[in-house]
Amino acid sequence: MSKSQNKGFTKEEELLLQDFSRNVSTKSSALFYGNALIVSAVPIWLFWRIHMIDVYSSLVLFAVVTAVSTYLLAMAYRNTKFTLKHKIAVKREEAVTRDLTKKLAEDKKMSKKEKDERILWKKNEVADFEATTFSIFYNNALFLAIVILASFYLLRSFTPAVNYTLSIGTTAGLLALLSTGSQ
Amino acid sequence: MYKSVFTVTIFAVFSVVHCSSCLNIDVTSKSFTTQDATIVSNIGYISEFTVGCSSGDVTSLYAELEGNLVPVSVVGSSKYQVSWTEEAKTARSGEKVIRIFDEDGYNSYRKALRSGEDVSSVPALFSVAVNHPGAYSGPWLKSEFVATVVSLVIAYFALASRSKVVS
Repeated sequence: MSKSQNKGFTKEEELLLQDFSRNVSTKSSALFYGNALIVSAVPIWLFWRIHMIDVYSSLVLFAVVTAVSTYLLAMAYRNTKFTLKHKIAVKREEAVTRDLTKKLAEDKKMSKKEKDERILWKKNEVADFEATTFSIFYNNALFLAIVILASFYLLRSFTPAVNYTLSIGTTAGLLALLSTGSQ
Repeated sequence: MYKSVFTVTIFAVFSVVHCSSCLNIDVTSKSFTTQDATIVSNIGYISEFTVGCSSGDVTSLYAELEGNLVPVSVVGSSKYQVSWTEEAKTARSGEKVIRIFDEDGYNSYRKALRSGEDVSSVPALFSVAVNHPGAYSGPWLKSEFVATVVSLVIAYFALASRSKVVS
């Protein structure tokens, strides 16, 4: 009894906690940061080849802006994923339950509790995967659209270096800010 | 005596005129026009032609450009060149025929201009064709516009799917 108390939570409780936690696994985190880095670095090409920034003299600027943007985008991915995960879980719950119940129906040995646990785990996995991929797609699409719009039209009269810093910085900041909303 | 001198003079003058006019004129021409108007505002036209005569020679040549006669430059033996520019916006593609006049034609042309007659009825010595296939002035849609539209469509799709999930 005391042992289980020391241990903290049961497996089911841990799953539930994980379900509602804002923290992401290391794998997911690596995916987010990797993706954010790539998407933040892609506009360097745009500013180098199209807006004619000299790459070598602006290396420090590129590095700093890319790092800040990577951090902000990863934050936006995480928050968006957290917001969407529950909504997706609710939407997919019925289908996952039906699917898994049909699969586990043949297994007579399995207890009801274990079946429920499996359904909960599967639901969590499905929602996690869908929320992760959708969050990356959603933020990337918005990021690139706003960056292109800002750099070509809104900030075109500025010098390329200012244009770069403002368009990338404000876009990443805007996405991070928007992702903190609950809807 | 006077009569014979007069006859010789007349003959000499006639023979000089006769010798100087070009017989069996043979013209070969080639032309150049600007074809890339992405960074220029005017289209340049150059026509270069070689005039050959079986006998005689051509006098100074004049080209008719927009109702004016301009002197044709001599760039080599029997080789002539005429060039002009037009605004890229008004330069139409297609073949332009430039009428070339010699001294006599020039005089007739001036006379016709002065008396207000139709100058197109003045016979030209010959005419050269300049073919302008049209100049490339850049794509219809700028690439950044296309990129912006495509990215906005994708962003709209992302927003629409998100609102579908959230609802």
